[in-house]
Amino acid sequence: MITYASVTKTFGKGINTVTALDNVSFTIPKGEVVVFLGPSGCGKTTTLRLTNKLETLTRGTITIEDQNIMDLDVVQLRQRLGYVIQAIGLFPNKTIAENIAVVPKLLRWDKERISKRVDELLQMTNLDPELYRDRYPAELSGGQQQRVGVARGLAADPKILLMDEPFGAIDPINREEIQDEFLKLQAKLKKTVAFVSHDIHEAIKMGDRIAIFEEGCLVQYDTPEMILTQPKNKFVSDFVGADRALKVLGLMRVSDIINRKPKNIIQGATRSQEALNFLKTKESRYGIVLEKNKSIGFVTQKSLKYEEGPVRDVVEPNPLLLREKTPLRDVLSSMLMYDTATICVVDGDKNFAGTVTYNDIQKAVKASYADETENVKIEVIS
Amino acid sequence: MSTLRFIVDNFQEVMYLTWEHIWIVGIALLIATPIGVVLGIVITKHEQFASRVLNGANILMTIPSLALFGLMLPILAIINMGLGKVPAVIALVLYSQLPIIRNTYTAIKNVPPALVDAGRGMGMSKWKLLRELEIPLAIPVIIAGLRTAAVMNIGVAAIATYIGAGGLGVYIQQGIARVYPEMILSGAILVSLLAIIVDGGMALLERMVTPEGIKVQRKLSR
Ligand SMILES: Nc1ncnc2c1ncn2[C@@H]1O[C@H](COP(=O)(O)OP(=O)(O)O)[C@@H](O)[C@H]1O
Ligand SMILES: [Mg+2]
Repeated sequence: MITYASVTKTFGKGINTVTALDNVSFTIPKGEVVVFLGPSGCGKTTTLRLTNKLETLTRGTITIEDQNIMDLDVVQLRQRLGYVIQAIGLFPNKTIAENIAVVPKLLRWDKERISKRVDELLQMTNLDPELYRDRYPAELSGGQQQRVGVARGLAADPKILLMDEPFGAIDPINREEIQDEFLKLQAKLKKTVAFVSHDIHEAIKMGDRIAIFEEGCLVQYDTPEMILTQPKNKFVSDFVGADRALKVLGLMRVSDIINRKPKNIIQGATRSQEALNFLKTKESRYGIVLEKNKSIGFVTQKSLKYEEGPVRDVVEPNPLLLREKTPLRDVLSSMLMYDTATICVVDGDKNFAGTVTYNDIQKAVKASYADETENVKIEVIS
Repeated sequence: MSTLRFIVDNFQEVMYLTWEHIWIVGIALLIATPIGVVLGIVITKHEQFASRVLNGANILMTIPSLALFGLMLPILAIINMGLGKVPAVIALVLYSQLPIIRNTYTAIKNVPPALVDAGRGMGMSKWKLLRELEIPLAIPVIIAGLRTAAVMNIGVAAIATYIGAGGLGVYIQQGIARVYPEMILSGAILVSLLAIIVDGGMALLERMVTPEGIKVQRKLSR
């Protein structure tokens, strides 16, 4: 846990004084990723650098696990906080293994422990130790270097990670990938992470909470949902952007709107005519066909009309199946691609878990806008 | 041809004078290097002294060598060392400072700030950063400074013969005094050869001390 209390930071003296941070207070809960978000120069980096004392506080206090950082030795403090930066900052004169080993070496781990840890971290960040251990940073692609940067930050297994636009220097495709990898890792490691970003998409994706800064002030500190659906002021809603509906879709997942008990389920052994009647009484144009709790496809009233045998013989296979974690944005694009309004969701064992329909997505988006339409009205009146 | 004859005939003496020359330059470099490198590093950490130190070293270098010997003479005469190898070595040490300090300073300053920042952020002490990052990255340029100093000093040492320091300058000085062209030429050629060989040797050293990772980086960025 990191607590910022009335944190103020000024640079320079006299008329040249710049207030980089102005009375900022918030808490990063243990095990959560908090994204510091805002335009360039709003004080994100400064907040991060105050945390590991690369900058000194002007006023206020920062406490880490209930210890005031002022009472902590600088070097020990920094070794406790993993640090990952946009420029990556791998030492070009050291091999990948040596780069990752910097902090463990400072902590005087023995050789064996270090080399075991290095291999473990390389594996964790999807780099083959055999292949990369003894390479130099210059021989790696940007994405690979960034992975090593993350591995280096994690080297001594710090409970807290400070990351300053850690994936900022990578092309968009690789960035998505490394973000996903990091999220997977974070789900396991449960670090407390302060993550600087200027990219709203990244913030929504990575953050359990988002702290939005404007010119050194913290304007909103909330969950991504709240930031998107209830922006506190115009600055936030402008920063979040006009295509908020799409972002909400990126944020919400299948599990948020899944229908676990759809009314139109048919067992594979059911006779076609029987199934047709069933669908008619349920007023459903189509049915989901299950066999041994696995979804084998769907049938429509039209396709059943002239059939006699069991529905399993006339079923049309599912174009794809969804997981509960899938973001709705991806679901929507699949619906458009396969021209279908319903997609089945399966669990880890590929057992049927429910369905997602186009209508449900639409409802969810509308609901998320409900509060905001009120806000708009108030704005107009005043 | 007759110059070669002279060298062969006086081989023993030639070897002795060459050795003496190398000795003066070598000792001077051995003393100058730690002073210059330390000063160069110190002024990167205490920027307020940087321009003063660099200007000082620059002024030293602009004093003509004979004038410098003359200036030191009365001071060193107090401890009875106005002439000979001591003032020669001191002069060479002073002359070496500019290339060594300047190269050290620039090389350390050129280490990308993001790397230093990453190191500091991970909890490396200033000393650790110097040893594990800044010096390894700076060392080729520092050696290049030593190379300049060494080559320059071989030339200055030839003049130091006027204050009785010995070395290959003896042939040039005495050759002029005796109007003995072969002797002058031998001295001149040997001094030049020495400079060329040392220059080549230092270039090799420069390459050898370049960290492997930097070599790889250069090769790939080409
Ligand atoms: N070392 C410094 N000296 C003077 N001003 C600085 C320094 N570091 C940051 N600032 C100023 O503080 C403000 C916040 O900077 P920063 O935290 O780096 O912004 P961000 O990371 O959000 O882009 C900016 O106005 C910047 O110019
Ligand atoms: Mg920044």
